[in-house]
Amino acid sequence: MSEPLFVFHGIEKTFAEVEILRKVDLSLFPGKCILLTGKNGSGKTTLLKIIAGLEKPEKAEIELSGKSRCWKKFMPIIRKEIIYLHQQAFLFSGTVESNVAYGLRFTSLTREQRRESLKKALEWSGLTELAKQQANTLSGGVQQRVAFTRAWILKPKVLLLDEPVSNMDQESREQACLLMQQMKSSGMSIVITSHVPQYFDGLADVQYDLSNGQLLQ
Amino acid sequence: MNGLLLTTQQALQLLLYGDAELWSIVLLSFSVSLKAILLTTPVALLLAFGLHHGNFPGSRFILAFFNSLLSVPTVVVGLFLYVLLTRQGPFGDLKLLFTQSAMVIGQMFLCFPVLVALGYAAIQTADRRVWETARTLGAPTWFTILTIFYEVRFGLLAAVLTGFGRVISEVGISMMVGGNIMGYTRNITTAIALETSKGEFAQGIALGLVLLSLAFLLTAFLSYIQSKKRVTT
Repeated sequence: MSEPLFVFHGIEKTFAEVEILRKVDLSLFPGKCILLTGKNGSGKTTLLKIIAGLEKPEKAEIELSGKSRCWKKFMPIIRKEIIYLHQQAFLFSGTVESNVAYGLRFTSLTREQRRESLKKALEWSGLTELAKQQANTLSGGVQQRVAFTRAWILKPKVLLLDEPVSNMDQESREQACLLMQQMKSSGMSIVITSHVPQYFDGLADVQYDLSNGQLLQ
Repeated sequence: MNGLLLTTQQALQLLLYGDAELWSIVLLSFSVSLKAILLTTPVALLLAFGLHHGNFPGSRFILAFFNSLLSVPTVVVGLFLYVLLTRQGPFGDLKLLFTQSAMVIGQMFLCFPVLVALGYAAIQTADRRVWETARTLGAPTWFTILTIFYEVRFGLLAAVLTGFGRVISEVGISMMVGGNIMGYTRNITTAIALETSKGEFAQGIALGLVLLSLAFLLTAFLSYIQSKKRVTT
């Protein structure tokens, strides 16, 4: 097996004196997909947000390129390499195109390169026809596709997907799974949370159940 | 009744035939109030954002304090500023009393709480996911704040227009620290007060009509952007 991209050690999180995560360890490998299951409120979303640097843990260590440091030290790298997608896709006001291009302005790409990336990304997800449409007028499934594309265009090393196909019809779900498969094949590490593991049978390489604040394989 | 009609007719003539004195007063009013609102808005909105997202001890108290300042009488702000700027006051050496700068400062005091309180109300309607999505897509803090402001732009615009309405229509501050000097610090409201006391109702009514038109335009614009918001969401 190849070297892990990130190794998280001893993630601890408490809400209102209730321990949500107890010394959780998780390794993320390139081109691999982890499926996280667990009851409502078991801490799946919290774990993803901590990994993405959006939520502060009480304690956590991150190992990167053989060096283990407190999570705060690696925050800039985490923000650059890991992208988190919400359960219900959140799109900014504006067109599909402006949403997909949002993160490009923070990269070192030139204006021409950004335009080219945008074109490729829209083609990749089949959104070219909808590029000029207002994003918040689209159906839930298409909005999720826009959110995938907005993440994919930035080529992150890790993609965290919180219940990515919940409330989707079968066709939208299949389209979303196809995009996830393509992202995985391109070498991205993917972590998915879901209540319905069957949807990701061909995609997930390993499944963990989050129970009582701990990950069980 | 005939007197009122005649005076209104004279007022309209003053407005329509471009009475230089009247329009210079209108221009000065807008100039002072626009400066006040433009200088205050960025600071007040950033403070409103900080109060909402900062979650620091005392943030609720500060917000309650600004809410209580919403209804502060303008003459009290004028009096407070007069005491500070008068020759014997702590800032007397700046020689700001009876200047347009003093009027701008006073109006900034007046609209600051309006912008903080209404700005806060607008910002708290922003979905938490705006912040998280912007951050996870690599936006730096300042751009994330701008993104949130853009998402709640209609609410923020309403706050700014309300603040502008409050300062353009105030009389207490302008009278006390402006001094109502013709061609220099006389604005719409102080001119109305003066003309009325002299029994010259035509110019007073003409200036009142300008203020009323402005109020109507602001309300119409607010209604328009609210309806636009309903269409886009």
